[in-house]
Amino acid sequence: MMQKLEKFLMPVANTLSKNKVLSAIRDGFLVTVPITIVGSIFLLIANFPLEGFLNLMTSVFGEGWDAYLGRVSAIAFDCVAVLGVLSIGYCYAREKGLENRIGGAVVALVCFLIITPQKAFVEVEGATEAASFSGFQFTFLGTAGMFLAMITAILSVEIYAWAIRKKLVIKMPDGVPPAVMESFASLIPSAIAMTIFFVVGIIFDHTSFEYVHYFIYKVLQAPLVGLGRLSGFEVIYQFLSTLFWFFGINGPAVTNTIFSPIHKVLTVENYEAAQAGLEMTNIFTAGFSDFFCNFGGGGSTLGLVIMMAFLGKSNRMKTLGKLSLPAGIFGINEPLIFGLPIVLNPLMAIPFILVPVINTIIGYLATVSGIMPITLGVQLPWTCPIFFSGFLVTGSIMGTLVQAVQLVVDVLVYYPFFKLLDTRYMDDEKKKEGQTDDIDDLSFDDLEFD
Amino acid sequence: MNIVLIFDQGLAGAGGKSNPNVGLTAVKGGVGSALMMESHFEKIGAKVAATLYCGNEYFLNNQEEVVTKMTAMVKKVKPDFVVCGPCFNFPDYAKMAAMISANILEKTDFKSCAMMSVENGDTIADYKDKTPIVKMPKKGGTGLNDSFADLCDLIDATVKGSSELESIKERICY
Repeated sequence: MMQKLEKFLMPVANTLSKNKVLSAIRDGFLVTVPITIVGSIFLLIANFPLEGFLNLMTSVFGEGWDAYLGRVSAIAFDCVAVLGVLSIGYCYAREKGLENRIGGAVVALVCFLIITPQKAFVEVEGATEAASFSGFQFTFLGTAGMFLAMITAILSVEIYAWAIRKKLVIKMPDGVPPAVMESFASLIPSAIAMTIFFVVGIIFDHTSFEYVHYFIYKVLQAPLVGLGRLSGFEVIYQFLSTLFWFFGINGPAVTNTIFSPIHKVLTVENYEAAQAGLEMTNIFTAGFSDFFCNFGGGGSTLGLVIMMAFLGKSNRMKTLGKLSLPAGIFGINEPLIFGLPIVLNPLMAIPFILVPVINTIIGYLATVSGIMPITLGVQLPWTCPIFFSGFLVTGSIMGTLVQAVQLVVDVLVYYPFFKLLDTRYMDDEKKKEGQTDDIDDLSFDDLEFD
Repeated sequence: MNIVLIFDQGLAGAGGKSNPNVGLTAVKGGVGSALMMESHFEKIGAKVAATLYCGNEYFLNNQEEVVTKMTAMVKKVKPDFVVCGPCFNFPDYAKMAAMISANILEKTDFKSCAMMSVENGDTIADYKDKTPIVKMPKKGGTGLNDSFADLCDLIDATVKGSSELESIKERICY
């Protein structure tokens, strides 16, 4: 059964993780994560869920202090498509083996801006018609432009790389500095990519969609992000991620090629809703996925590690548990994955795959029932410890309490499997103590050298 | 058929990056990641007689001592085969595995191999002519189970002195 499953999963994992387009999108979004996290910290300070803290800040910095912090969070969230097109363009240039990767990234950014509306309209009090001004609107640079950013980055770099491959470049004589040579070599490829996107933009101007943004949003982004609002979305993501890990394959590296863009959009949509004073409606944000599905790393092994450290009877369990606990609190379980091990260990497969799914269901039910507020559109570092993360990502102590309940459930689900393995290791240790054979006394202190 | 495994602290279940200075340790039977390979070893009638390990920083600071003492311990245990790995893409561990395996083959009559992913390019280039190095995926890569099956093909053919040994090496080693 396991062999058949692995035979099925291996090609899927290979296809997804080695696909150049999907890898570039996944890695490109990873590049934007630090920016989103920093923006989230500014956002959290401006909207910290403690009235006393906000009053203190106002008394120190005066009214409107939070507006200054908004300058940072606005760039991190409202320009997420701009950051995305640049980073995905760079990563795809890397995947295509281009030497001038930053050239590819810049072309991607420029192509995206070419097809982005460059005129904005504002209602003016007393005027019969909306006034227009030149400039970009955040509306097109934020979440609504995310999928277009992905497509633009891939297509523009593809065109750019094609032109370079076909040697449609200006060659400079020897002796010209490399930076100048590289710049001129990019001229024709950039011109071809920019011209194609210029034409595409004009074509869409003459359709009922008006802008490419509206077209992509309606036919691609809205339906795909809609999948992320289905109740089974996060369960499937968590199940697949841990299933791959069991076979030694880095599950999130595979699943994030598909799920990461959707998580990102759902998260930033919550931010935009909150900024607009609207109700946040997306449950399965990056914050939910990071802090209400897994504690202590993939497979939500924190509960297991706590038991190993404090309830383990075999030396192996106790030692590994105590050594793994500090890292586990910060969401890292590498010592456990290979040291217990989890990988290719059929006994641990069941709780390892099951526990994140159970956590997801508990978190989902707690949210829809109103026990816990919906997760905010902030993105915290995934190493943020349990309990703190629950409070910060929901802005409520109920987030912490739900995490506490989940941790207790995790311990209960892991317990029988932990006991079985602990007993097995204890029997092994007793058996070795009782055996006397040629290699009974293994010590590096009394070795003979010849 | 008795196997000796040579691990770093992470594979041995003695902690990961938080515990890099674990000294030389020998344990009867398999520990840590040995469990991942158990079902494959059973297929060729092999069992883990002992696991030898130390921390990656301990190795880096005491390279000569680690290689000499690990080799001496192999001579004491007298296994049919020594597996120095699986090292994934862990560079310190890969270097230690390649050095120990090469030393065992050079200084003793015991059979040995190392096992690591292609990311350890320098180590592979330096040692592939001194010891068989079985190909495997990096951490989180695809094909871990298949690489263990390949390792067992090599062990079985080496211990039995199979005429297919060279073609197996050609297929599964760097």
